[in-house]
Amino acid sequence: MIVRWLVILAAVLALARGASAADVVVWHAWMGAEEAGLVAAAQRFEAGGGGRVSLVAVPFGVFDAKIETAIPRGNGPDVVIAGHGGLGKWARMGLFEPVDDLVIAPQMPVAEEAMRWEGARYGVPLAYKTLVLLYDPAQVAAPPKTTDELVALARSLAGDGRYGLAYEAGAAFYHAPFMHGFGAAMWQDGALSRLDTPAHAGALGLSARLAALGPTRPSSERIGQLYREGKAAMVISGPWFVADLGRPIAAAPLPIVSETGQPARPYLTVDGAYVTRGPNTDAARAFVSFLAGEASAIVRRDVGGQAVTTLGVSADDPVRTALAAQAAVAVPMPSDPKALMAWEPLNKALRQTQRGAASPEGAAAEAQAWLELLTRPPPEPASPTPYLMLVGVLGLLAVGRVAQRLSSVELRGQIAAHRADYLWVAPAALAVLVLVVAPFLVGATVSLFAHYEGSWTFVGLRHFADIVLSRDWPITSPMSFPFTLAVTVLWTITNVFLHVTIGVALALVLREPWVRLRAVWRVLLIVPWAVPSYITALIWRTMFDAQYGAINAVLSLVLGHPVELDWFARFSTAFAANLVTNTWLGFPFMMVIALGAMQSIPRELEEAALIDGAGYFTRLRHVLWPLLRPAMLPAVVLGSVWTFNMFNVIYLVSGGEPDGATEILISEAWRWAFSRGNRYGYAAAYAVVIFGVLFVYSRFTNRLLGKRVL
Amino acid sequence: MRPNPVVVALAHVGLVIVSLVTLYPVLWVVKMAFSPGQGFSVGLWPIPSSVTLEHFAAVLGTTASDGTWLFGRQLLNSLVVSGATSLLGLVLATTAAYALSRWDFPGKEPGLGAFLVTQMFPGVVMSVPLYLLLDLLGMLDQLAGLVLVYATTAVPFSVFTLKGYFDTIPRDLEEAAMLDGAGRVRTFVTIILPLARPALAVTGLFSFMTAWNEFVLAATLLGDPRSFTLPIVLQRYVDDYGAAWGSFAAGAIVVSIPVVALFFALQRHFIEGLTAGGVKG
Amino acid sequence: MAGIQLRSVEKRYGDTWVLRGIDVSIADGEYVVLVGPSGCGKSTLLRSIAGLNDITGGAIHIGARDVTRVSPRDRNVAMVFQSYALYPHMTVRENLAFPLKIRKDPPAAIQAAVAEVAGMLELGALLDRLPGQLSGGQRQRVAMGRAIVRRPDVFLFDEPLSNLDAALRHHMRVELKRLHRRLGATVVHVTHDQVEALTLADRILVLHQGVVQQVGPPRELFDAPANTFVATFLGSPAMNLLPGRVDDAGLSVGGVALGWVDGVGKAVRGDVTVGLRPTDVVAAAPSSAAGASPWVGAVDVTESLGAEALLHVEIGPHKLVVQVPEPSPWRAGAQVQVVPRRVHVFDPGSGRRL
Ligand SMILES: Nc1ncnc2c1ncn2[C@@H]1O[C@H](COP(=O)(O)OP(=O)(O)OP(=O)(O)O)[C@@H](O)[C@H]1O
Ligand SMILES: [Mg+2]
Repeated sequence: MIVRWLVILAAVLALARGASAADVVVWHAWMGAEEAGLVAAAQRFEAGGGGRVSLVAVPFGVFDAKIETAIPRGNGPDVVIAGHGGLGKWARMGLFEPVDDLVIAPQMPVAEEAMRWEGARYGVPLAYKTLVLLYDPAQVAAPPKTTDELVALARSLAGDGRYGLAYEAGAAFYHAPFMHGFGAAMWQDGALSRLDTPAHAGALGLSARLAALGPTRPSSERIGQLYREGKAAMVISGPWFVADLGRPIAAAPLPIVSETGQPARPYLTVDGAYVTRGPNTDAARAFVSFLAGEASAIVRRDVGGQAVTTLGVSADDPVRTALAAQAAVAVPMPSDPKALMAWEPLNKALRQTQRGAASPEGAAAEAQAWLELLTRPPPEPASPTPYLMLVGVLGLLAVGRVAQRLSSVELRGQIAAHRADYLWVAPAALAVLVLVVAPFLVGATVSLFAHYEGSWTFVGLRHFADIVLSRDWPITSPMSFPFTLAVTVLWTITNVFLHVTIGVALALVLREPWVRLRAVWRVLLIVPWAVPSYITALIWRTMFDAQYGAINAVLSLVLGHPVELDWFARFSTAFAANLVTNTWLGFPFMMVIALGAMQSIPRELEEAALIDGAGYFTRLRHVLWPLLRPAMLPAVVLGSVWTFNMFNVIYLVSGGEPDGATEILISEAWRWAFSRGNRYGYAAAYAVVIFGVLFVYSRFTNRLLGKRVL
Repeated sequence: MRPNPVVVALAHVGLVIVSLVTLYPVLWVVKMAFSPGQGFSVGLWPIPSSVTLEHFAAVLGTTASDGTWLFGRQLLNSLVVSGATSLLGLVLATTAAYALSRWDFPGKEPGLGAFLVTQMFPGVVMSVPLYLLLDLLGMLDQLAGLVLVYATTAVPFSVFTLKGYFDTIPRDLEEAAMLDGAGRVRTFVTIILPLARPALAVTGLFSFMTAWNEFVLAATLLGDPRSFTLPIVLQRYVDDYGAAWGSFAAGAIVVSIPVVALFFALQRHFIEGLTAGGVKG
Repeated sequence: MAGIQLRSVEKRYGDTWVLRGIDVSIADGEYVVLVGPSGCGKSTLLRSIAGLNDITGGAIHIGARDVTRVSPRDRNVAMVFQSYALYPHMTVRENLAFPLKIRKDPPAAIQAAVAEVAGMLELGALLDRLPGQLSGGQRQRVAMGRAIVRRPDVFLFDEPLSNLDAALRHHMRVELKRLHRRLGATVVHVTHDQVEALTLADRILVLHQGVVQQVGPPRELFDAPANTFVATFLGSPAMNLLPGRVDDAGLSVGGVALGWVDGVGKAVRGDVTVGLRPTDVVAAAPSSAAGASPWVGAVDVTESLGAEALLHVEIGPHKLVVQVPEPSPWRAGAQVQVVPRRVHVFDPGSGRRL
């Protein structure tokens, strides 16, 4: 029977593989109208006999990781469409083919420039993105010329749930125009600038003032919503904002910074098309060159609503006209990978000043310190010899040990006698070994290396020392390992406590025979377990929104006055938000376990206690609980291990806010691997430490419980 | 025995409140899915003011550039991957769990320990090594590779649960079967597996959910939209560049329905399957 | 059909010996009942015959075949477990058909065999039920049916009747006897119930601490127990054991000379253990008449069993249980004279029969 199933399985899998035979495979992360414009352009290319194009929309979140792993191994696409911010890194990694000789329609000089890296042209520019001042012509007669005017106008338009200005003030990308307007910079002349200058502090102060005009911590979709409802008179955003608004919108270049008299200068990103290294470059080059051409540009402009870089394809609407004007003073986004390091410190400084948690000067100084840590030169390479020797000795010892045990005739006899038994375990053991243990060991090995801008250095156990001894941060800093570990432990304990308490309490009610509709309640109460958790975690995040979230709405209703609590501004509330979400996600499992455990306890025992005169709570404490506890312990231990590594909730709900304080070990590891300059080695060391902590914990609980639980 | 009516009433009121709190976030998804526009819904009441099916139409009707029905293809992928994952996961886990439950072979205890230790590996940082590995095996961009990874990830927990359940099945049934002339495989298939149905249901469902909900690995390992699974598609609706909450919510409902249905169909096995297994293990 | 030969069978778990030097031949068609105290190794011996556990030493033959290393599935033995081990997910019909299906009998043959067994055990009306829907006695019959349906060489029963009430147990006992006669199969049957052992067995095998104490027909074990263990283990109420002495004047217990009581060998001299079945004693009112027993004691407790009563009599330092017919005139505290009709004498050191 099993064999038959396996055959069917193989057949279905073969069927579902479905490789497409396209001439040019393109990976991009455009969405909505932009994607539609690309599709339309590709159709033109195909119609013109250019060959078949397969467009793959890769989720933004995994885009970089995906091209960086796939292309070097020959599994990548022929063409990548992406912003030029990552170009430096990718060019260094050798992902793209230089295309200096490719003849294309003339492009904006700044865009042409953005496609270059170390003298070579790596792609063709397609569209640019920058920030402009968007406003509702119904509310704003003339756009403000200076930031002071902006503030004044915004104030005059605010009130009654309406805002004069709304933008994503907490993101450094939106802060950049004012930073540049103040004469400060993140990146200048091929090097990182200092972040602790007076100009930076001034810009941070201005951003804090501007942020105060709008809703707290708004997401882009929230801002869109406000605008659509006529509740946001002015918005700082880009061309992507304009798509299907359903409300008239006008645009102007960003105002002049009153303090300096300089224009606000946003960053300008150019989305380019790059030809990847690989065999299929001719068709790819043809497609890329077509994309940059006039016909494609017009389609992308008209269908995709893009601000195209192709010269001669005029900006035909007010927004794109304003964009073009803004582009003239915009600062091209640096594409050197080193420049990326400044974002996180700057983001942090921005949020700190906006929360009022630090003065602009203090935040700027802290950002500079943080930046220096992130960018300090890679550690000295360590000599691998002692490590190799250690590994060699340990290996020999292990081999010797095994050989010694195997030399026992009795053991060999037993092994021989049970030969068939091993066959039963072998498939699972082999699969786990290859697909779970091996990747982990690879990761563990990686932890001995430091990864800096694409190159690996052997550093031995240095990462572990840095992490565990918290060499880089005082232990009171949220970045330090002891702090994060403490948060993680607190997180695990509170969660498991709530899961068990709520689960057991519900089970106590649901087991009673007099409860009506028991099956219905049971089904309703396991819903959180059944719905995919990444969906519900995202929903919870929106429910914690300061102005519009359902939680604050409920609190307002209950407390009788409006509540606009910014849940993610303080550790306690941000932690609570994570906790509520994960409690909601986790209690059904414990409820089911508790129900099952209670079913296996004979009711006669409690009845006997009842006859002995024990009240309800006495019976719970002295009869039910002692019997329930051993049955629940394994689930509790397993649940605590899962909670300890519960990445999704932290990442999706608080995202570590404020300032990484609610980050737990696993999300911290993730940040080091994927958002702080790809410090894979450091992240891997974190992973090993996490494993170590859990391993010690499990040994400890086993000892404590006197049996193996995990 | 029935306690006094006040307690009964209080218990029921409590259940209603807890259930409402439990369903509240889910109702938001429903509201967003049925409300026009891509913004996310605000306020207190998760009841849509006007109802539209446009999001469902848009999500379900997604087609590829060549006109093929992309959503259908991706739904099929998800079903195939998840189904195959639970099947393969069960094959791997039941055989191992049975051997670990029944026979005392040298290395059994450390082996069981090793299975459980893998539960402590931090998953999110393993995607890159896994990518390299699948590349090495030539299984990149193939649903089969994904199935292999998912099934294996689910194996340790399944072994844990199933072993616990097998331990509760009396051995004399197998001995009787053996005296009746059945061999090990036969006994396993005709006696043990049917008796372990609750545990099989639970572990099968968990493997199914692992595969059905996962998107980080899937997005890393798969390169062709025709081979995408639904979570990747869904994830794209709420990417960094402006979220399409309406489409996301509609997609979320479509994605949730099969799991929720399976969940409810199998939930009566849960209590038995999980506790006999996972708990008393 | 086949007999069973056990040749020096030994079984040990780690350092604990469970079976030691079991040498027994069971004839074809013989019904052997295995008795012994709890933990003495009965189930282990049965399971060794079935092949469910490996033996540490010795050999087992079934018929002419050495099956010591043969897998249980190929020994052609059937076993009825104390728990019955019915497959809970299969109907009675499927349970009965299972061994035949495994053997790949043609469906028609399976159907016929099931029908025959169902008729024999009156299971016809229950065929489509699951084991969970049956009473204890019905389950027992199904378990029996599953054993019978294959026509095995050997039946092994491990306390098959212990879960039944007294009436049903009696009924099933008779059924078993009838079945055995009808099938003529070799049976090894483990029980704790003496009546079961005595009524069913062609021969009884008494096991104690993994060692065979005695094998023989029930009457023989009862009349000539090989040692004190067998003597006290079989028979109810249990045999009284008293220290005694045999000299030229015959047997004396506690200084009281009883003379040459039936059962004392003329050649025996010296200290002995005297075994006295409560049924081999006559109780009388004390009298000084000639020929009267000098053995007089006081009744301590009386127990009525319905048709008989048991008197616990204290004679000097010894206690003696005596069975008398009801209605009995004896009350606690009364003086009673005890007349032994027949005794067994054993070596006080080894406990062996003299
Ligand atoms: N797997 C085992 N490991 C160690 N010792 C065992 C094992 N199985 C049985 N024993 C021991 O062997 C002895 C005999 O057990 P067995 O089950 O044969 O007794 P039994 O005569 O059937 O007793 P009962 O009348 O109570 O069923 C017991 O002392 C038991 O503790
Ligand atoms: Mg026994």
